[in-house]
Amino acid sequence: MLRDVATVAPDRAGWALAYVKQGGSDFTMYQLLSGMPGVPICHLLHYLQMAGEKIAKAYRFRDTDTAEDRLTTEHVAFSRFIQSYLGSPEIKQRYAGKDEQLREIVKVARKLAREIEKLAPAVDRKTSPANAEYPWLDDGSVVVPCEFTYPNLTLLTEPGGRTFLRLLEMAIADFERIRIH
Amino acid sequence: MLPCPYAYEEVDVHEKDEVAASLIAWHFRIEPELRAIYRIISADEDAAGEPIKLLEVNAASVETGRVVPFAFGSAGDITYPSVVAEVTPAEMDAIRQRKIALPAGWSLETAREFLRPRAVDAA
Repeated sequence: MLRDVATVAPDRAGWALAYVKQGGSDFTMYQLLSGMPGVPICHLLHYLQMAGEKIAKAYRFRDTDTAEDRLTTEHVAFSRFIQSYLGSPEIKQRYAGKDEQLREIVKVARKLAREIEKLAPAVDRKTSPANAEYPWLDDGSVVVPCEFTYPNLTLLTEPGGRTFLRLLEMAIADFERIRIH
Repeated sequence: MLPCPYAYEEVDVHEKDEVAASLIAWHFRIEPELRAIYRIISADEDAAGEPIKLLEVNAASVETGRVVPFAFGSAGDITYPSVVAEVTPAEMDAIRQRKIALPAGWSLETAREFLRPRAVDAA
């Protein structure tokens, strides 16, 4: 039987590259769906959440010594990655002389990243049942994701929303250049 | 009678301008480092479905050397889809010098410039 996948066990660098590629593809899907009329917001945000998680894993595979099985099986905190990413030498250099602005960006980005990581059904289900995939119970009523507006994640009108997306795009496109540790 | 092949559904231009102005004003209010916004006007700006297109010069943004537009659907009072690209002031200079390309179909020649209102900072 023909196989079109590599048969050599990948090292951490190999896993990192694979995750950044797949995260990049998820982010591209987010961008494509965002430009299509009539697509429920849950689907856009689902891709955004998946992209964020995979990008976080890519950097952690390459730049940390977190156990491989943890990275491949568990949800990785996207908000914690954002904190590390925004503290990286590359970001500090791009914000050189703009400490106050960077502090504000970090504050806003962490808040948005936390909202995005909560979209994964397995994260914080008891206290934050709203997610991008499955219906949930809210005050005795069933909420359907494709009918929910996700008011905390309207990135068009949230402070820092557009900058956040730009930072995420950079994390993917400039992966080779940026190190979080 | 056959439909005119050149006819297309048009939007209410005045209403679209009002929605764009509202979005621009909101962005100036919530982004303290936003210096200017350029509303990109395309040849088919009046066509149904054509988004509001904004190039936003934000000193708090991160410099990447490229212009990446992000699309957004209509939401709340913003009843038109929009596409927003954010750049730093240095990148805006590079765009003017044609060192950084704008997205396909975007031009500054027909763009409307909106500078940061002083009243926003005084409020």
